[in-house]
Amino acid sequence: MSQDQSTFYEEYEVFSRKKDGMPLEHRFSLLAPNAEMALILAKENFFRREPIADLWVVKRSNIRKMTQEERLAFGRLDKAYRETKGYADLVARWRAFKEKNGDQEVEIDDAGI
Amino acid sequence: MSDVTSLAHLTDEEKYEHFMRRIENDEKIEAEDWMPDDYREQLIKLITMHGISEIMGAFPEKEWVPKAPTLHRKLAIMAKVQDEMGHGQLLLRVAEDLLKPYGKTREDIMQDLFSKRLKFHNVFHMPSPTWGDAAVIAWLVDGAAILSQTMMLKTSYGPYGRALKRICQEESFHSKHGESLVLSLAEGTPEQRRMLQEALNRWWEPLLMFFGPKSSKETGHTNVDKNLKYKLRSKTNEELRQEFLTKYVPKIKLLGLSVPDDTLHFDEEKGEWIYQEPDWQKFKEIIKGNGPKSDERLALRRSSYENSQWVRDALAEYRMAAV
Repeated sequence: MSQDQSTFYEEYEVFSRKKDGMPLEHRFSLLAPNAEMALILAKENFFRREPIADLWVVKRSNIRKMTQEERLAFGRLDKAYRETKGYADLVARWRAFKEKNGDQEVEIDDAGI
Repeated sequence: MSDVTSLAHLTDEEKYEHFMRRIENDEKIEAEDWMPDDYREQLIKLITMHGISEIMGAFPEKEWVPKAPTLHRKLAIMAKVQDEMGHGQLLLRVAEDLLKPYGKTREDIMQDLFSKRLKFHNVFHMPSPTWGDAAVIAWLVDGAAILSQTMMLKTSYGPYGRALKRICQEESFHSKHGESLVLSLAEGTPEQRRMLQEALNRWWEPLLMFFGPKSSKETGHTNVDKNLKYKLRSKTNEELRQEFLTKYVPKIKLLGLSVPDDTLHFDEEKGEWIYQEPDWQKFKEIIKGNGPKSDERLALRRSSYENSQWVRDALAEYRMAAV
């Protein structure tokens, strides 16, 4: 073969947007010599029939991925302090005031006040 | 999630245990995750075989493009061929990422195919002499492949599972196309019905063979057992073959066709189909590359690969140009 395989084709990651307003989704990867060919190949190979709203190709070497180490460490910390589930006691505490004051006008539901 | 937060300080044995826990928890393994060597090797074997089978499967199909009886069928077959080549591309890409640590590329896969080191499904080594064959292939060979691929959707290897999802979506058209061909012939003249029956007679044994032999006794391999352990697949060859018979024998009979096996029947007590075993020695020969059409189709694949070198060379001119 006349070309050095390792530098001729590079991996490109393909992203597409299904419908207007939806986010871009990572779909698959392909090998191509440049970005223009990558886009053409993405259309030919992956979108023969389905209509899509948008199509991006990104050279894999331009993507900063997480290592397996980083992914393992990711799920460890408890972040309830910044999520609504960390404040599940609030409704009961509002209700306690309502009972104390006998105020029937203020509505308390699961979403709070 | 496991309590392991860093792989760096684990021994190989501990890494293996962590990996097996992930498998048992139905976690998906991604391309750059730590994996045992034999997991990687099983995947490479499985996925290259699948990818190459998609590409070689396009050959019996494409033979009917110039001979299709109507324009509609010609368009449908061409669409199917494009799909199969696309599937091959998808799968070879997944295989390439796994081959990276070994320094191997698609070029090596191609050379393994040409030297017959890499095997593909028996059915694609067989001839397709009549339009009846085209119909039976489209309905039952694709049908068999769909059963196998649907089973593998839950595979533990993420990239393979995602590729299979897309493949299964496109295969649903192939399945309808196959049914359409068969129904048209079955609804037709006595000559058409005879052509269909004769094609079925030719394809029955290859179809049973498609799923592979029952146990490691016949092949001497333990691939199926390993693949089950690693959750690459979830059913055995025989389970899939039984599924195939349950799904298609009633429909074959409904069309007024017969299966060329007088012993075929469903045993209520055992809860399984009893059938005449295919000739597994013949199967071994075929997948070694000694089938009726093996050399011809491989030669065509090789020549098209060589003849398109100028395209790859031309693209290389523009590699730096469009970035």
